[in-house]
Amino acid sequence: MTAAPYNYNYIFKYIIIGDMGVGKSCLLHQFTEKKFMANCPHTIGVEFGTRIIEVDDKKIKLQIWDTAGQERFRAVTRSYYRGAAGALMVYDITRRSTYNHLSSWLTDTRNLTNPSTVIFLIGNKSDLESTREVTYEEAKEFADENGLMFLEASAMTGQNVEEAFLETARKIYQNIQEGRLDLNASESGVQHRPSQPSRPNLSSEAAHVKDQCSC
Amino acid sequence: MERGSNFPNAANAASTMATATATTPTSTTTTATAAVPPKRKTTMELVQQRFKSDEEVQLIFEAYQIIGQEHVEGLLTLVSSSKGGTYALVSFTLLRTPLTVSNDLKINKVFPINKSFQLTKDAKSSITQQQFDLSTDDERPIKYYYHPIKTDMESVDYEEFVAHIYSCKKSMSSAETHEEKVLNFRWLDDYREIGEVKQELKKRESQYIVYRDITIYCATWNVNNRPCWENTSSLQPWLARGENAPHIYAIGLQEFETITKIMMLNSNQLQMYTSQWIRKMMENLHTENGIEYEELMSVRLSGIILAIIVRKQLRPHILRCCIHKVPRGFLNAVGNKGGVGVSLQLNEANLCFINSHLPAHMENITARNEDYGIIENDMRFEEEGRPFRTISDHDHIFWLGDLNYRIQEPPGYQRPGPMSDASTFEQLLQYDQLRNEMRHDRCFRGYMEGDIKFAPTYKYDVDTDTYDTSEKQRAPAYCDRVLWKGKRIEQLDYNSVMEIRQSDHKPVYAIFQVQIKTRDEAKYKRVQEEVLKAVDKRENDNQPQILASKTVIDFGLVRFNEHSTRDFNVYNNCSQQVDFKFKVKDAPINDICEKWLRVDPCSDSLMIDSERSIQLRMLVDPNSITGLLRKMCTTRGKCDFDILILHVESGRDIFITVTGEYQPCCFGLSMETMCRTNRPICEYRQEEIKELMNDVSPEYRVTMPREFFLLIDYLHKQGDRLRGIFQSYDRRKALSAKFNDVRDWLDTWSEAEFPGTPETAAEALLLLLDLPDQALLEPFVKDLLISKSKSEAMELIALLSPPKRNVFMHLCMFLREGIERHDYELSNVASIFGRILLRSSEYAMTIDYANRCSEFMRRFIYIETSDAIVGGNGHGGATGPSLQT
Repeated sequence: MTAAPYNYNYIFKYIIIGDMGVGKSCLLHQFTEKKFMANCPHTIGVEFGTRIIEVDDKKIKLQIWDTAGQERFRAVTRSYYRGAAGALMVYDITRRSTYNHLSSWLTDTRNLTNPSTVIFLIGNKSDLESTREVTYEEAKEFADENGLMFLEASAMTGQNVEEAFLETARKIYQNIQEGRLDLNASESGVQHRPSQPSRPNLSSEAAHVKDQCSC
Repeated sequence: MERGSNFPNAANAASTMATATATTPTSTTTTATAAVPPKRKTTMELVQQRFKSDEEVQLIFEAYQIIGQEHVEGLLTLVSSSKGGTYALVSFTLLRTPLTVSNDLKINKVFPINKSFQLTKDAKSSITQQQFDLSTDDERPIKYYYHPIKTDMESVDYEEFVAHIYSCKKSMSSAETHEEKVLNFRWLDDYREIGEVKQELKKRESQYIVYRDITIYCATWNVNNRPCWENTSSLQPWLARGENAPHIYAIGLQEFETITKIMMLNSNQLQMYTSQWIRKMMENLHTENGIEYEELMSVRLSGIILAIIVRKQLRPHILRCCIHKVPRGFLNAVGNKGGVGVSLQLNEANLCFINSHLPAHMENITARNEDYGIIENDMRFEEEGRPFRTISDHDHIFWLGDLNYRIQEPPGYQRPGPMSDASTFEQLLQYDQLRNEMRHDRCFRGYMEGDIKFAPTYKYDVDTDTYDTSEKQRAPAYCDRVLWKGKRIEQLDYNSVMEIRQSDHKPVYAIFQVQIKTRDEAKYKRVQEEVLKAVDKRENDNQPQILASKTVIDFGLVRFNEHSTRDFNVYNNCSQQVDFKFKVKDAPINDICEKWLRVDPCSDSLMIDSERSIQLRMLVDPNSITGLLRKMCTTRGKCDFDILILHVESGRDIFITVTGEYQPCCFGLSMETMCRTNRPICEYRQEEIKELMNDVSPEYRVTMPREFFLLIDYLHKQGDRLRGIFQSYDRRKALSAKFNDVRDWLDTWSEAEFPGTPETAAEALLLLLDLPDQALLEPFVKDLLISKSKSEAMELIALLSPPKRNVFMHLCMFLREGIERHDYELSNVASIFGRILLRSSEYAMTIDYANRCSEFMRRFIYIETSDAIVGGNGHGGATGPSLQT
């Protein structure tokens, strides 16, 4: 067997954005390590994580940029939006202010990414039901109005974390399949990796075999 | 073994260390390097630091490797895992000697001590250079060397090392039989070098490979050029033997037509002849309920045919079928002799079938051996886009055909008895050329053949069971054979068929049970997930990392035209060299930092455990003040001086916030802002001055900035001392030594005597006029540049904000006086002030910009056109500022 040049067929770039303390780094950690990171320090900069997932039998490497949420870094983090195929916009269901700021995060995302960038809204900390300040219905309505995908998730329990990241990838992949995403555009956030051809198609091989029989 | 007492000590040390590591936070971003340990740790302790708390280092052994020409120091460590219940040898490279920190230990290889683990002492060992090989899981052995005299007292010696490994291996194999499920090597995944996913999956094959039994039926017959239709009898006695219906048939024929006839037939006819034979074969296969066969593929070379027939339900599991022919015989090319082959993949196993017809006649042993060798060598199965496969690349190889090896009885030898007797076959086989050649490795190296319990298959009188009675009286021989090569093959039957009599050869068949390597899909999926996870984990864990001693750099109070510096450290706390750099920011900055900052160094490489100091230098000077004030005005909330992006190559970015408090100063402030102040500027804080700067109301506290007036007033009183000033002006020039005294004098509204000279005052005046974001005559610079006359310009000047207008008029009056007194030259002054007051980056490049600026100024300060100046007096408070304090 010849070795494939890469372990994956595509690379998708994601960014995670949202107010400070909504749990962006914990979501990333839960997704890459399947563990909850308690006492996670504030991100002072941009952290980076990867994971290879499978969509439709294709191996996709997610390159995830987790940005600092502090207001003072806002201008600097804007430079990381460029070329993101997916944007995970996070708020904290127990802090209304983080929800109220979504429109500003959304404005940045729309201005700084391309129209095909998939934006996924995550209401984090769904495990803290007793201190909830934002209802599911309200956020769902906001998501629908703005054409965002939406889930409530918990980086603590892991609930819906996998789903949010994978759904985003599926949507991006679907955009590629439907030709809505130009892979040649440098800002698409997607890189295609020619991989080893998968197992040869039986029907085409059968035809090949028959050819050789006529000896 | 006296040194065996090491173990309990090591274990104690190990558990202490493990507790210590467990409480250390795994990642912090704001703290600097850990304190230097008070006491030097032993090698054993440092090694133990690299493992988890339930893993224990049993012993260490100094061993080095030779890579290329280099001698690479290393350690082999025997580690046990209580979770996995298993042992492993972990091989480390020492990045630095002597060893002082555990980061200098780099894992280069992991050997699980399982059944396949091998330690082989190299026979070439000499006293000075001892060597041995380690291997596991079918991988290539890796060579290690050791010094006869150890340097680290904790290291065991070779004999002890070997003894321990063998006792581990033994304890493992005995434990394995008892509680198979408890034992695993999964804990090692955290230490393995995970390579490419495909290779990794291959390495872990044992975790998902199962073996499925299939039956393979090989059959060979030299049909002696008798056409198919002449064969009226059933072939079932040949092809339908054995208890069960086979999964795969490999049926070979030789001499299916004479070479002359074959050469006369066209390809359609040949195809038809071949098809007839194959149809005949298909009709005579095993018949079992529910089992259907299909022809997978067939290949013909002259009179040699090989047909592969498989069960229909097996077909979807067969991939990559290809054929190849190696013609021999006449001119070594015609193909009346030679071989054909079929290669295929069934599940995860590669199978190969060869049918060959080797040269005839008793004496041609060498020719037969040669043809065999050529077929073995030249048989290449090629597929587009893949490397070709040779015969030996297959897991299971079946070689059948008329190999033509004879029975070479010694002269005068009397056959022991009738040809039907089993004991006779045994005697005859002693003289079988094939067996003899194989014994001497002259052909079919590595191939096997089952016991022959049948009569020689050649040469019979056609339609009889009688050996050749013709004139030639050929000696009986075992021409027709089936051989195999490969693992997990068991021959169930091997026989000839007497009752098929159409040829001078009897057909031969052999039935095999083969264990085919097959992927358990569920297990495979699990292993694949594990591998992917391990690859991800490795990638995430091995991200280069550095620590910054501070992420907020506070410059405290920053004053105009005063340097200050701050340092911070970056420290490489990961196990690889790290390159870092400050990232260039997007437009409009296009640099790693703002103009008022300098960073040194901008990039560097950090070795493991090393540290680098980064210096930040801050200077707000005439070239950067405008930008800083603009940034302050446009930033919501508290304005940081800058945020630097410290980028780690293929890792994360750290933001370094540069902050502090800017001490407001008159330089750079607009005339309007200065007219809004009600106390000395030095008494304002950054936030307060920002408020004034952003104030757009037309309310002013004074008609003209006090700072401006004070300078003009001072200059005005200098009389003769003004001679020669305003010779030139360059904003980028270093400021004079007294400049900061003048700055403070202005910012404090000092009652004291002016601290500088007329030159410093002139310098300050020019900067005061030049540094504001907007030129003094904005927003009318463009119109004034094209204005044709003084009166036309005057109409525009009248529309300026009162502070600007007053400053302009007052300035013109002052300059005119100086020119009148011949203190300075009109052309100089007109040029310098014109370009300051009409400063414009937009028009500076136009051809006559400089002339227009001078011309404009000239109109206002030239004596002969004094009429307009008088008019100008009426507009502004040119008689001096009326302060409202």
